[in-house]
Amino acid sequence: MGLRQRLSATAVRRAAVLVVEVPGWGRTRCAVEQEVRRRGWRSASSPADADVLVVCGRAGTRLTAAVDLVWAQLPGPRARVEVLDPAAVPATLDRALATLSDDDGQRADAGARPPDPAMGIGADEDPTADRDVEPARAGNEDDQGTDDMDMDDMDMDMDDMDMPMPAGIPLAGGGEDRDGLEMDVLHVPLGPVLPGWPAGLVLHCTVQGDVVQEARAEVLPPAPDSDHDGDLVRGSPADRCDRAARILLLAGPADVATATARLRDELLGSDEPADHRPALDRLARRVRRSRTLRWSLPGEVHARLLALLEAVAGGPDGAAEPVALLPLDRLPALVTGQELGAVRLLVAAADLSPATLLRDGAART
Amino acid sequence: MTGSLVQVSAGWVPAAAVLLLAVAAVGAVLDGMLAARAEGQPAALGAATPVLETARLLRQRRRWTVAADRPLQMVGTAGLVVVALLMVVVVPFGRWTLSDLPVGVVWFNALDVAVWALVWLAGWGPNSAHALIGGYRFLAQALAYELPLMFAITAPAVAAGSLAVGDVVAAQEGLWFVVWMPVAFLVFCGAVLAFSLRGPFSAPSGVDLAGGVLVDSSGIDRWLLLVGRWALMAAGSAFAVAIFLGGGHGPVLPSWLWSLVKTTALLFVLARVRRSLPTVRPDRLMPFAWVVVLPAVLLQLLVVAVVVVGRG
Repeated sequence: MGLRQRLSATAVRRAAVLVVEVPGWGRTRCAVEQEVRRRGWRSASSPADADVLVVCGRAGTRLTAAVDLVWAQLPGPRARVEVLDPAAVPATLDRALATLSDDDGQRADAGARPPDPAMGIGADEDPTADRDVEPARAGNEDDQGTDDMDMDDMDMDMDDMDMPMPAGIPLAGGGEDRDGLEMDVLHVPLGPVLPGWPAGLVLHCTVQGDVVQEARAEVLPPAPDSDHDGDLVRGSPADRCDRAARILLLAGPADVATATARLRDELLGSDEPADHRPALDRLARRVRRSRTLRWSLPGEVHARLLALLEAVAGGPDGAAEPVALLPLDRLPALVTGQELGAVRLLVAAADLSPATLLRDGAART
Repeated sequence: MTGSLVQVSAGWVPAAAVLLLAVAAVGAVLDGMLAARAEGQPAALGAATPVLETARLLRQRRRWTVAADRPLQMVGTAGLVVVALLMVVVVPFGRWTLSDLPVGVVWFNALDVAVWALVWLAGWGPNSAHALIGGYRFLAQALAYELPLMFAITAPAVAAGSLAVGDVVAAQEGLWFVVWMPVAFLVFCGAVLAFSLRGPFSAPSGVDLAGGVLVDSSGIDRWLLLVGRWALMAAGSAFAVAIFLGGGHGPVLPSWLWSLVKTTALLFVLARVRRSLPTVRPDRLMPFAWVVVLPAVLLQLLVVAVVVVGRG
């Protein structure tokens, strides 16, 4: 075996997987996360960090356009797969692995790609103006805005044209921040592809420094003919675990977040959820006792995290309890004026259910 | 012990570089094992993580963003490893040192300030909002940890009456400085985690920013940043061993082995801490650092100064 083959074989043993969840495919996403962990692979935090792009579910036009842009940002070697059913996950990841290991195929893929990075499109073109926009246009609903300076509407005002425009991008405009200091104003879309982020959600933010000054929320729908109902049962123990794991992932104690996600998977795959009660108790106690967690999380997020874990520990075998969902139009008020890290935590702690919002026709503000 | 500290010739520089990277690799291996255990895999499997990740990144293509500031980004990307290598120039390895500068403690401090610029450039370069905010966060964090760090490393220097690391090590014969300056030691360990962007001070490269200053780096660039972080952590641990944990002092074993064992042990402890603590949000860190940590470390310095004067 030559050096090159050996490098390839080693390189794919710990593939980094970027998971995109389409609203309605929550269980499939959990299955992917579990399988990724079982194989000793890992989750990627951004397109540049990823080898494999896994789309869980059938995305609608605009979500597909966003995923296409993310796909263009994977450095390569890269593989893209779609999975619609939890049972199909292992076979799908096998397929991704085969694509990733195929040196010749990867070389051909690299050769066929444009040399310049993919350019987003200005957010000043209102993405909500028309539902049936051509795919390229929805590109500004992009991923986590990895090259989003170019996608920002730079607060165009009168004398834009006199300003230097590197790569055709106007410079950011200024504005007074909360302390009355002049600061650049950027328009950054958060979502729909971000770690620990609700499926399909896009938060169009106006940001100064790291503070969100304005926000508008919407949920990008799945393909029109596929009203899929494959989310975790809302309010079920596994669902609560999933929400707690999301908060913990963002909050930072990596090992606790992993433990919570593993318990979620065990609850999903188990016939006797009561067996997991001691482990759930331990987890809830560990989180409750952590003073650093209490200190570093915003008060309402910490309270929410504790409530989630204690509800699971109290009744792992219990039926789903009804949950009051947060209407999407309350979200902008919740995040305005907050630092970006706090925004991420508040969104993770909010009781959002993108699939339900879509079904009720309330997926936009 | 300055007399017994041997300055080796410049020919040993490559060996010192290899040694630093090896210690950094050991840190990454230990961290991989801890991570694997958390994921329910055998810890031994996690030991291969750094090798697998290296192979992955060597095979990965480099990717640029639109209108990236490439020269500055490359300075920031490659600079972290260089700073870590320059740091260990003044750190003794048992009886040997590359250079026992008369201002060794200041040298270390000056280099850790260079990290400010490098991380900021790594965040600025990609022309991307998340990376930029990662850079902002690091500067805010640096304002919080830098003064406590300076006063923390001043304490051993005052006690030894010298800024040369060799003298500081020699002054610890019999009694390690950590015993009577625990606050300074803890603050210094926190600062090591902070300048190597590790939890609980990982906000500049946090998951909530999809990787922050790391968000757009791939291939060899990402590898250099990750290695730079581990190398900074290893260099910081080695320096902590020299100025707080008695350097090469210890029974039975040769002094170079003591240096190595202590450095690796501290690195392991830091890796454990970072995996189990939540990330401190930047807006929480600043008041804590200035209202609690800074007075505490100044008080520590006062105690040390009084003891030194009292001893005459």
